[in-house]
Amino acid sequence: MSNSSVYPTPLNTFKQSKRSVLSVIVDNEPGILARITGLFSGRGYNIEALNVTVVDIKDNLSRITIETLGEERVVNQILAQLEKLVPVHSAINLANLKESYEAEICLVKIQFENEQQNNEILSFADIYRARTVQKRQLLVIYEISGTSERINKFLDDLHTISGIKVEKVRSGPIGLGI
Amino acid sequence: MSIDQELTGAEIVLEALKDQEVDTIFGYPGGAVLPIYDALFGQNFLKHVLVRQEAGAVHAAEGYARSSGKVGVLLVTSGPGVTNVVTGLTDALMDSIPIVCFSGQVPSHLIGTDAFQECDTTGITRPCTKHNYLVKDINKLPEIIHEAFEIARSGRPGPVLIDIPKDIQFAKSVYKKKSDVTFKSHRIKSGSKDIDRVFIEQLINHIKKSQKPVFYVGGGCLNSGPQASQELMKLVQLTNIPITTTLHGLGCYPAEDEKSLGMLGMHGTYEANLSMNQCDLMINVGARFDDRVTGRLDAFSPNSVKFHFDIDKSSINKNVKVDYHTNTDITFSLKAINEYIESTGITFDESQYKNWWSQINEWRDKNCLHYEQSDETIKPQHAISRLYQLTNQKDTFVTTEVGQHQMWAAQYYKFAKPNRWITSGGLGTMGFGMPAAIGAQMANPNSLVIDIAGEASFLMNVQEIATAVQYKLPIKIFILNNEYMGMVRQWQELMHGSRYSESYVDALPDFKKLAESFNAVGVRAKNLSELDDAINEMVSVDRPVIADIWIDKKENCFPMIPSGASHSEMLLSKYDKENPENQKKGKVLV
Ligand SMILES: Cc1ncc(C[n+]2csc(CCOP(=O)(O)OP(=O)(O)O)c2C)c(N)n1
Ligand SMILES: [Mg+2]
Repeated sequence: MSNSSVYPTPLNTFKQSKRSVLSVIVDNEPGILARITGLFSGRGYNIEALNVTVVDIKDNLSRITIETLGEERVVNQILAQLEKLVPVHSAINLANLKESYEAEICLVKIQFENEQQNNEILSFADIYRARTVQKRQLLVIYEISGTSERINKFLDDLHTISGIKVEKVRSGPIGLGI
Repeated sequence: MSIDQELTGAEIVLEALKDQEVDTIFGYPGGAVLPIYDALFGQNFLKHVLVRQEAGAVHAAEGYARSSGKVGVLLVTSGPGVTNVVTGLTDALMDSIPIVCFSGQVPSHLIGTDAFQECDTTGITRPCTKHNYLVKDINKLPEIIHEAFEIARSGRPGPVLIDIPKDIQFAKSVYKKKSDVTFKSHRIKSGSKDIDRVFIEQLINHIKKSQKPVFYVGGGCLNSGPQASQELMKLVQLTNIPITTTLHGLGCYPAEDEKSLGMLGMHGTYEANLSMNQCDLMINVGARFDDRVTGRLDAFSPNSVKFHFDIDKSSINKNVKVDYHTNTDITFSLKAINEYIESTGITFDESQYKNWWSQINEWRDKNCLHYEQSDETIKPQHAISRLYQLTNQKDTFVTTEVGQHQMWAAQYYKFAKPNRWITSGGLGTMGFGMPAAIGAQMANPNSLVIDIAGEASFLMNVQEIATAVQYKLPIKIFILNNEYMGMVRQWQELMHGSRYSESYVDALPDFKKLAESFNAVGVRAKNLSELDDAINEMVSVDRPVIADIWIDKKENCFPMIPSGASHSEMLLSKYDKENPENQKKGKVLV
């Protein structure tokens, strides 16, 4: 007998939301991104980050990576709904693979006012091995890549420096499995 | 036609329809589809049915598809033409009906300029189609059309739309035959035909172990084809397991057979809902645990092992977690189960479910569909019962509108065969029934096609009588006239303190005169003594008929599981009162 058959009503199912990274291979055709984002908004799913690029020119395929929040049952439902879309070849949850690797890239522009701030910035950049993309007087742009978590930490650390201005752009996570 | 001869886009559309063996198309012309209408002119393989509003075309295509098992096809113009079919496309998506809709679009170079009758058709219809296309290259048109048909009918069927700019309809290219197109399997997503042995063995094991099993069968069984019903009947007979069907499953199994518990769900029978509530083994064949069926989820069949057959993976574990599932086409799975039983020589002991059947028969003794028919006013239940008795010997198709009459039709018209019952379930679209009857009659010219209607729903697509008259389609519109949006009034009575806000249908037309003004036939029954005559006249006239049946205005539809209640909290009559705790919660649900 399955006691798993007893379900709470949908009203209170948003409790154990978990971060998942979904990787979707699609035919690169007009409207595909709208189909995917429409599916998420129409069914009330979350998109935390989204990345789309052609990855196979010959077969005209794109890979879409979506970071979402939701309990496992919802994430499985999202995957099943994605797989129903005609241009979708496959949709997987990277967390379900034995091994998978994630990376994200972030550009950070920092404006500062004095030497002490500069030194603090430099030391964080050194610790996180951020690459200098551009350096001017009282302004620096770094590029940092790695897991989203690592980037979060770097940004958190920068925010401990008082009086500087930080502007950033992030690609959202991408990932591959083995 | 020589092999490399070039055709215009409009001619390609017709050539592809011929290739797809389409014989009927429902449509309405306008500027952006005139080239296709021009190509239709003078040809004779394809019958075009001119509806009176595009909504009629899409529901007719649905009725055609449901009653014939083929893909329904329609043709509409850009802008308002296509926005008028949005409801029908959504309806077809919800109820898994294969249709292909061709729409005209402004010429390519004007797209995005807010041109006359331009709208973002693919944008608007993306969430209400299984797939859609905007044709940008004439050379791709033949393949797109063939793929559209394949997608519409494969796997879980659904609506597909092809938006064709006017310049593409004039542009020329070489036609590509259906047989020369190779489909990409990831795009078609046809159902698997591979038998899941483990699933089958587990199911047989559980059937052997179970004390209280029940089949719960839905529209997926119909969509799998007529053989699925035959295999199902065989399996039910072999195993002696009771069977209940959803609204769309009606007809998959003969309603009058003793193993049938009738329909389940919000207005299902007492025995069906209690069996679902108390069973220890639930075998779901092509149903989707819809909220009209499950009632309150946390009380839904708490003690059963659940098996689920569904071609659509996203239906598995969506609302209710199941223990075993298969996505293989139902016909193949059921056939394999029957073969397995035969080849292994497993037998099922008649006495195994003896207690279960006697429990079920006790529930049946409640006689939940009982009603009192007085001498005067016609009870709606009685009207449907008489309609059934006076037409069931004929080759009959029944469509419906949406409301109480729809539920009474489901309860009192007993279907013996699949694909005879055509109703709007998932979306609940008022105005569906009459155009759907037109479509069903086009597909089955010699059959009796009846739309069981409510007066309010009927008025939503009333213009389509003209279509029926023009094409000499002798459809019968059987209106259970209660002068109310009865289903709305029922909810107001049960949940909103009998405050009948805007649910009285005032200023009704005289339906008999209305029929006559359209050159159709009108009949009327004002009281019981006139009922049978009205039905007999309606059936015998070989023309479209509107039958205006005056019924008890205050009758409600029972049994009823109010929203937010569980299967075991059914109201059997107006004397049953709802649990106030549920009422508070249920009120916010639909
Ligand atoms: C297009 C549409 N609008 C509104 C509704 C909500 N609705 C459901 S049943 C109903 C009343 C139907 O009245 P009628 O056709 O007379 O049928 P009855 O319930 O009286 O048998 C309404 C308004 C609907 N289902 N469809
Ligand atoms: Mg009514």
